[in-house]
Amino acid sequence: MQLFPCPFCGPRDETEFHYGGDAGNARPDGADVPIERWANYLHMRGNPKGVAREVWVHMNCSEFFVMERDTVTHEVLSSTALDGGHAQ
Amino acid sequence: MRNLAEKWSIAPDWRNAVLAVPGLTIRPVLGLEQQMVSGDLAAWGKASGNAGPGVGAFEAAQGESYTARLARDRLLAVSRSAPPVAAGWHAEGFAVTAVSAAMQVFEAEGAALNELIARATTLDPKQPSASAALSFAGISAIVYRHGEALRIHVDRGLAAYLWTWLEMTARQIAANQK
Repeated sequence: MQLFPCPFCGPRDETEFHYGGDAGNARPDGADVPIERWANYLHMRGNPKGVAREVWVHMNCSEFFVMERDTVTHEVLSSTALDGGHAQ
Repeated sequence: MRNLAEKWSIAPDWRNAVLAVPGLTIRPVLGLEQQMVSGDLAAWGKASGNAGPGVGAFEAAQGESYTARLARDRLLAVSRSAPPVAAGWHAEGFAVTAVSAAMQVFEAEGAALNELIARATTLDPKQPSASAALSFAGISAIVYRHGEALRIHVDRGLAAYLWTWLEMTARQIAANQK
């Protein structure tokens, strides 16, 4: 078991959270988006070894937030509420 | 075709269901008015005369009319009497949904209460958490203290499951105390 810090609730069991993808992977907008851009959005992932910035949701309180964590050591470095803005 | 009806236990009659083992008593709480409030909670506080953030996980609710905080913009208002704000959308910026029929409430008390909490959740009951919404016995629940007891709200469809889990766990707790 690992504890993740929800910006609203504080530390909670990892099973209460759901992964939402890479932070900053903005959905393309408009009718003339090239297919390469769509392919990048849908399929290409950074998959970094080390520090990663990811969007997560705490399913119990529906808080969406950006969590920065180390994919090697599992250390959580920060968690920041999205507050309706877009995580870059 | 096989009849699997006997495979499932009969759903309890909540009017007289009681679970009692040494150190732990659990019973349903009937007749509570429950409303889910979403949106501008400060505006709802003004309209209802019930200001305050609402209790978080394992915090103590006072009296018969109180609120439990679920999220930044959502709370559960609980009362014994008719709620002060009608269900529906309110132009002040909040929505009220009647959920009394959707949620079953249980109350557990006794010297072994902390043992029950330890088996139901990984949360530290002494550490404050803003939201009373948490995973309890593997399902989403709203959990806080009321007087000496622990109150647990769950979706009504999961109440029979939770009762079965509580029966099994209470038996294990009682057996460990011998």
